[in-house]
Amino acid sequence: MLNDEKQYHIQLKKGDVGKYVLLPGDPGRCEPIAALFDNPVHVASNREYNTYTGYLDGVKVSVTSTGIGCPSAAIALEELVRVGADTFIRVGTSGHIQPDSVSGELAIISAAIRDEGTSKHYMPIEFPAIADIDLVMAIKRAAEKNKARYRIGITQSKDSFYGQHEPERMGVAADLLNRWKAWEIGGAICSEMEASALFVIASMLRVRAGGVMMVHAKEPMPPLDILLNTSIDALREIIAFDKENGRAVN
Amino acid sequence: MSQLQHHIHLKEGDVGEYVLMPGDPGRAEVIARHFDNAVHVATNREYVTYTGFLDGVKVSVTSTGIGCPSSAIAMEELVRVGAKTFIRVGTSGSIQPGTQSGELAIVTGAIRDEGTSLHYMPADFPAVAHYEVVQALRKAATAKGLAHRVGISQSKDSFYGEVEPEHSGVTQRLLDRWKAWEIGGAICSEMEASTLFIVASMLRVRAGGIMVMHGEGELGSLEPLIETAVLAVRELIKGDQNA
Repeated sequence: MLNDEKQYHIQLKKGDVGKYVLLPGDPGRCEPIAALFDNPVHVASNREYNTYTGYLDGVKVSVTSTGIGCPSAAIALEELVRVGADTFIRVGTSGHIQPDSVSGELAIISAAIRDEGTSKHYMPIEFPAIADIDLVMAIKRAAEKNKARYRIGITQSKDSFYGQHEPERMGVAADLLNRWKAWEIGGAICSEMEASALFVIASMLRVRAGGVMMVHAKEPMPPLDILLNTSIDALREIIAFDKENGRAVN
Repeated sequence: MSQLQHHIHLKEGDVGEYVLMPGDPGRAEVIARHFDNAVHVATNREYVTYTGFLDGVKVSVTSTGIGCPSSAIAMEELVRVGAKTFIRVGTSGSIQPGTQSGELAIVTGAIRDEGTSLHYMPADFPAVAHYEVVQALRKAATAKGLAHRVGISQSKDSFYGEVEPEHSGVTQRLLDRWKAWEIGGAICSEMEASTLFIVASMLRVRAGGIMVMHGEGELGSLEPLIETAVLAVRELIKGDQNA
């Protein structure tokens, strides 16, 4: 597929997006995120892929929804890279794994458990799904600026929402419960459904990916403002970092 | 907890919270020369330990021997006697074409191409270095003006499977997988990091690694590698004291 063609699923072509892209799962969350950009414009909507482009500190940035799960997220990442994007921050909500987590705290993702099928079509299972270290540090600075409670660590990227929430009714109940215990012992901090494939594919395409999640624990969830503001400030931080290091931002 | 550990022959107080981990027992003494007032503490099997000071803080070096089985034992027992921060330091192969011998590899994560870490966690759990150790190593390598890459290591169980895959009974698998690691962007190949990272995650301690790579040309002195690792320990000490 030629890079200047409109991409098959996301319906975007070169010039439609900036190098810096936020990736929520929910198409409905693109508009509130884009409202935090300068001069946001709705660029495309197709299937679960909804895209807005605007500016932060004079640099073109975008938000594209991935839909739920690694299969659709992998397509979004592949096609966004083909039209010029090279820096991605996944932003969304997640379950918690550690017993002392509190609803509303942020999970800054350092790496992901590949508990899904998509990334196995890309790399053998032993290959680690690692977030870009410069994005981890940019998100950390942004979380501190927003006075967010946060932790940095590993996420479980799973293929089944209800397998996590109602494991006992599944035909593989014992396996699900044993593995969940393993993730807790291993120190994983959150559970979502897209990060691992994004990180593995980003490694292969030599682009950068990271993620920040708002964790849902026992208490009701607070509004998402601090998550969205942190993701926006994280883009500002990585843009500033790139300018300092002589990396092209447009 | 304070008893003499079975393999490393160390007890509480024998080591600092910060430990450098070479594979080669013979390299422990060379690294210890960079400490102030270094003392040889114990030698048993492949585990050689020296303890000294950096900026007034107690630090140690313990060799792991080759491979994840002996490295896992070293880390488990070192944590039991009080160690909390680990930097693996050693030599490695290179994976990306164009790598020059002497370039440093700062390890962010590791391919679990070995058997030991499967006794700890399912294979889909990532072996990830602690970001504070990664950042300290980058800062140190940058301050010293040394060429370095930041990325993923392949941690393997067979040295000769890597360097002479054609002599193996699983040649095609080894070749196909090596190609995958290259496509995936992995930068270096060694034999201990993945298990150290997995065990560190489970024990809630920090681990990272820095390797000097064999690539094009001759591999020179290991001193720049060792100096960078020692400087990174100083950076971590400074960061911890400010926290």
